[in-house]
Amino acid sequence: MSEARPWPQAPTARRRLITMDGSFTADAALQRPDRYAFLSAATERRPAIARGAGFSFAAASFGAGAVTVDFTAFDRILAFDAASGIVEMEAGARLGALFCFLTARGFYLPVQPGHFSITVGGAIAADVHGKNPAREGTFLAQVRSLRLFHPAHGMVEASTTQNGDLFRATCGGYGLTGVIVSARLEAQPIPGDTLTLAIHPVATAREGAERLREWSTTHDLVYAWHDFARPGVEFGRGAAIVAKFSGKRGVRTEAALRPSRFSPERRARLPLSLITPWTVRCINRVYSMKLRRSEGPTTLAAALYPTASSEPYLALFGRSGFHETQAIIPDARYGEYVDELRALVQRSGVTIALGVAKPFAGASDHLRFTGDGISLALHVARDARASAFLAELDRLVIAAGARPNIIKDSRLPRAIVETAYPDYQQFRAALRRWDPERLFRSELSARLGL
Amino acid sequence: MRSLVFGASAGLGRALARAFAARGHALVLLARDERDLEAEAKHLRTVHGTQVEWHAVDATDPAKVVQVLASLAREPPVSNLVFPLGMAFAGDDGALPLAATVALVNANLISVMATVGVFLPAMLAGNLGNVVGIGSVAALRGRSNNVAYAAAKRGLESYFESLRHRTAATGVRVQFYRLGYLDTQLTFGKRLPFPLASPQPVAERVARGLGRDLGCVTTPAYWRAVGVAVRCLPWPIFRRLKF
Repeated sequence: MSEARPWPQAPTARRRLITMDGSFTADAALQRPDRYAFLSAATERRPAIARGAGFSFAAASFGAGAVTVDFTAFDRILAFDAASGIVEMEAGARLGALFCFLTARGFYLPVQPGHFSITVGGAIAADVHGKNPAREGTFLAQVRSLRLFHPAHGMVEASTTQNGDLFRATCGGYGLTGVIVSARLEAQPIPGDTLTLAIHPVATAREGAERLREWSTTHDLVYAWHDFARPGVEFGRGAAIVAKFSGKRGVRTEAALRPSRFSPERRARLPLSLITPWTVRCINRVYSMKLRRSEGPTTLAAALYPTASSEPYLALFGRSGFHETQAIIPDARYGEYVDELRALVQRSGVTIALGVAKPFAGASDHLRFTGDGISLALHVARDARASAFLAELDRLVIAAGARPNIIKDSRLPRAIVETAYPDYQQFRAALRRWDPERLFRSELSARLGL
Repeated sequence: MRSLVFGASAGLGRALARAFAARGHALVLLARDERDLEAEAKHLRTVHGTQVEWHAVDATDPAKVVQVLASLAREPPVSNLVFPLGMAFAGDDGALPLAATVALVNANLISVMATVGVFLPAMLAGNLGNVVGIGSVAALRGRSNNVAYAAAKRGLESYFESLRHRTAATGVRVQFYRLGYLDTQLTFGKRLPFPLASPQPVAERVARGLGRDLGCVTTPAYWRAVGVAVRCLPWPIFRRLKF
């Protein structure tokens, strides 16, 4: 079954690739295959890594000398069964295309990341979460099976019952087991024809966390926005944002998505960062006014893909970019963590541009980002002060027994991941058992010693 | 309405099949690899609910192509023929071995003529249909870089000119699109002097053009200027150019 030709083999471009957060750039050899002949087993192999939309904040789809395989030409929706809600598609299919297809048939995927340009393959590889991870779990909860290509193994089917170990290592495996070719996902009937958004102001992050816990069982979308811009004044003031379906179930809805050409390159167009303590205060003021006005009926697209509407905000960070850091903090430690965060912000003088909290529940496995607790995501502009701040924050995360998000934090050091993820060694060993050559690699895998 | 797309698995062919499916055409897809055809056919059926028949064929073997076409389901009759296929070799500098030259001319020219030959009688009898040829600006003026390819594509252009003349008094419409650089595997990673056009808008344009007597269209539009310039360059200058 092996052929003499080397893999990966397709016309190659040299491209300068950049992460969405602007932290890492590399000249990569890029291939963009569009035929199945590309996925042939080979005896002569070169390091490679698959790439979808390239939206991850960490450099998961390039770097470390790997050939980047842009898989977006494999974008076909292969089958749909309205009785079971199972939809099969190639991994390069974008969530937006799938959204239009499914909603026209009265279905949707409850767990989706913030932007509709992201591909199914990327969502599986990073095991992304949605708008109520405490109730819906992570993207994995929707994956029934997948097909994976590895040039030493050929095409392999994997699910919880077939090649279970490979399935476990591939969902949330950051693309390190091979190229995800296609997947079968379980979509759900849209629970109601109306989605109503409610905004509940909170005075502190602690209060926000309590609300999130309470509402995660009763609402379809639950998260909280916090203003952490000023450590001295109203630190953590914000709002819990919840939404709930009502009305008729499984009804076709209007599936209009605004076209988006957003990309890491477009995000980084501004030569200078416009994020300063003053602009952050203005942005927060405007955002909180906008929030209050957004109460009432909303569209499913707007609720599922908030990042798509914050493209201009992300662009304000300019070429130098931003850092996102996100960690799941055990409920019992959350208040204390936020207090320490406030002290740290005061000491370091950084400006937190954005704070978002979500309720989580679930047992972590391998390096998947889940666990019991409240996740808190923060944005800071990328500068020298930020690096020192984030290194300090890493210590707080470890002290709180929290778990940082690997796909979002582009500078997360290996030592922190090893400490925070008890399965680190187990995942590392699983990768080596499946692929002793460790053919699939990226800047992320090299940095984390995977 | 049933449309046959020859070269349907990638690039412009894929975009054309999708544009036709979105307009409710039933489809016949031809390409080399059955894995690609199967995936594309599933997509078109699942998303557009259209009827799709596909056959894996090798365009370098026109006799085989005709044989496969004879086995097509009779209904609904095929009324549109579209040929987004092309084959080019590196080292096509006038010294290609015979087998490569035959393969190249077969794929770019003879298989197209053979396919049209199969369907044209029925189309003329029904006084309805479209034949769409896809050519290349590379054929505008012969160059040392793609000697046999340009010859085959120039032949194709001449063939479509004749076809348009043959069908002029009938309901059958012939369109020929002379394309500039497209963003496909053929151009991926190459340093080219002009920007790449995305296959989708070209496919939409071809789909909109069905039923119209357009003759030869050069697209994207700025290639018309390039075409004029390339053709008007005096020989003493042209002979020195390496492109």
